Amino acid sequence: MILRYTAQRLLMLIPVSFSTSVVIFMIVYLLPGDPIDNLLRVGSSPEDRAELVAQYGLDRSLVVQYFVWIGNMFQGEFGQAIVLRRPVADLIAQNLPYSLTLGGLAFLFSSTVGMALGTLSAMVRNPVLDRFVRGFILLGSTVPGFWLALLLILFFSVNLGWFPVSGARGWESLVLPVLTIGFGGVALVARVTRVALLDVQREDFVTLLHAKGLSSGAILFRHLMPHALLPVVTILALRIGWILGGAVTVEFVFGRPGLGSLLIRALGQRDYPVVQACLLMLALAVMLGTLIGDVAQAAMDPRIREKKS
Amino acid sequence: MHYSSKSKLLSGSAIVAGAFLFSAAAMAQDVTVAFSASELGATAYNPVAASKLNTATSLIFDRLVEQDADQSFHPHLATSWEETPDGMAWTFSLLDGVTFHDDTPFNAAAVQFWIASYEGTENEYLVEAIGSVDVIDDLTVRFNMDRPEPNLLYNLASAFMGIPSPTAYAALGDDFGVTAAVGTGPYRLESFEIGLQTVLTRNDDHTWGSDLSENTGPGHIETFTFREIPDQSTAFLELRTGGIELLLGVPTDFLQILQAEQNIEIIQMPGTGISYMPINVTAAPFDDIRVRQATGMAIDQDGIVAAVYNGVGAPARNFLISSLPEANVDPDLNVTYNPTRAGELLDEAGWMMGGDGVRVRDGERLSVDLFTENSTEFTRLTQVVQAQLGEIGMEATITVFDSSTIRDEYRRNAHQLAVRGYDWNNSDILDWFFSGNRLGYPNVSMWEDAEGQRLNDIAMTESATAAERIANFTTYHEYVLSQHLFVPIYQPTQNIAFNSDAITVPDPVRGSRFRGQSFLDIQVAE
Repeated sequence: MILRYTAQRLLMLIPVSFSTSVVIFMIVYLLPGDPIDNLLRVGSSPEDRAELVAQYGLDRSLVVQYFVWIGNMFQGEFGQAIVLRRPVADLIAQNLPYSLTLGGLAFLFSSTVGMALGTLSAMVRNPVLDRFVRGFILLGSTVPGFWLALLLILFFSVNLGWFPVSGARGWESLVLPVLTIGFGGVALVARVTRVALLDVQREDFVTLLHAKGLSSGAILFRHLMPHALLPVVTILALRIGWILGGAVTVEFVFGRPGLGSLLIRALGQRDYPVVQACLLMLALAVMLGTLIGDVAQAAMDPRIREKKS
Repeated sequence: MHYSSKSKLLSGSAIVAGAFLFSAAAMAQDVTVAFSASELGATAYNPVAASKLNTATSLIFDRLVEQDADQSFHPHLATSWEETPDGMAWTFSLLDGVTFHDDTPFNAAAVQFWIASYEGTENEYLVEAIGSVDVIDDLTVRFNMDRPEPNLLYNLASAFMGIPSPTAYAALGDDFGVTAAVGTGPYRLESFEIGLQTVLTRNDDHTWGSDLSENTGPGHIETFTFREIPDQSTAFLELRTGGIELLLGVPTDFLQILQAEQNIEIIQMPGTGISYMPINVTAAPFDDIRVRQATGMAIDQDGIVAAVYNGVGAPARNFLISSLPEANVDPDLNVTYNPTRAGELLDEAGWMMGGDGVRVRDGERLSVDLFTENSTEFTRLTQVVQAQLGEIGMEATITVFDSSTIRDEYRRNAHQLAVRGYDWNNSDILDWFFSGNRLGYPNVSMWEDAEGQRLNDIAMTESATAAERIANFTTYHEYVLSQHLFVPIYQPTQNIAFNSDAITVPDPVRGSRFRGQSFLDIQVAE
């Protein structure tokens, strides 16, 4: 049953991917400006410009350009960066590991700490602790990442000298970026966990479990968590896509390479093949995250797969 | 340790501090440098084919000729050169005993191969006047010119004319400059991670530094690590905390803060560009030359240098940096602040001062659009320009665009005034920004003029010698100034900051930019 459900979800990705590819392609071309200005030198003539436009196929109709691009994508061919002058696949291969490491660690950090805080807030009936956690959640949901990044740099790098200000050398350089990205995630996961646990706690079967004399720990881990995890898993799955795309400003402030940095640089230069490839990667990550979330939900809750299959 | 704060250093005992200083000196054998913001994004150390290069390129590759801050040319891998009186041939004598990092010899055949390798690349324009290269003997080459090119030495001193090893260049193909880069420079490419860092190690065989360096032997520093730090605030904090020892291209805004740091010193070099305000001559009210002239007279360049840049840099009076001989124009043509005369000119043009301080003509207010790019470099300057235009009764509305979008706006002829800048130390920049062939962008002034184009063509293609070229460009420059197509504002300096506890840096810096010749003189601090 779960295999059938997964196959259905995978099939649905085909039209979604197609529409996404059209949107990505059009967005890039609708932006004012073009990459050729970045290739011209003092002394280049209008003829040089026209030659470059033709060389990169930018004089062809948008429809033709789209089908050439999508055709190449099907063959795993990302093309050549116009301004950065390297194969796009090479640029992505160089930057992706940095994004995956940073995003993966931030994901791990926000999941574990967020769930722990949410559980603590829901289970420990201490108004002071509850207020603290709720305050933290509010702060984490609203503080902009770039501002938090600068605060962390000032405190931990400039004042205490514990971590490097920027760069991507060694584990030390990962601590502050992971904290910066993870902070928002912690707040989100904590909020969802807290609400889910509080909801489940009000169910009749929980009162029965208490009446039967089960310990609080046993009730929490054996009975409450499986129910509360459902919305948490959904939120976490949706954040998989965010792993790659959510670190753009943080990568910039901490001077780290990554897909976000590459995208920002390419966008500024209107380096179309790079922007398109980066956006496609991010869109695929979001689709993959949604798929994982749906499948995980279905695996955990038979009602979902029965209803949807 | 590498990023310990200065306060930690001061708090230790004398012995500990001494030991730390010793260790810092030893560590300084590996000097970390942050590129300036304008240098970020190079993807290959390939002078022949790359569209973007950075300072590290000048440590890997030497050039035939070097250019000093006064724009004079100095021998490097070419010990001397001779141009025929008609400008149709140049003969270069090459330095003996020079080898590439792959131990192959640098000689006339290498130069011949190198010049030929530009064919079909976007940098071909640098050598397009060279018809052929003859090898006279092992250490002598002759460039046979298709036309006189008085700008040849300038081109040869460009970073894009570093000389690669023919053997490595042929063997590596498109990977040259990415997986390896082989030149004759004082440092070898150890590793290159695009967008992150470049590590260079000392070439111990290098004994052929130019006379722009005190040290003509191998570099004093063993390893230079060049880092790309996109955010300027982060780069500044890295310097403060010891994460880097040298910061290229310090924004003027940061100078005061850095000057307050005991262990940070700042070197200022003459800039290689100006900030200016192009005027769209096709957009009313600027189709009236009197309004354009009045706009120029509204801008108080000295006041801007003092208020916006704390006295760092110099006012710009015409379109070229002051070290270029073509900048020496008739003083009457230089643009200077004169709000009284500006008011008179606007009165003459029919724009009379209104009750609310904005001029009016036939019921129409003197309201204009003032465009700029979204960089910290221009934001504050544009606001001051807006205020100064207001003083003469011109109401300017600022719109900020990213660099790609603003070019589109120029091409759509949607602009009136803009605040922007350029970085180029050659008078041919006049052709780039004012030739009628490039209306919109780069000719933001949208200026088409038969006499202007004639003078442009003479300056660009009909100068046989360097002296003739200077005279022709000066004439063209004066004509451009007489048409009031722009307002020159500011000549920035190039600012370099370094940690004086770790290294010493030559001051004053020789060369038109802080590059290879200066790095050869960097030493570990005593």
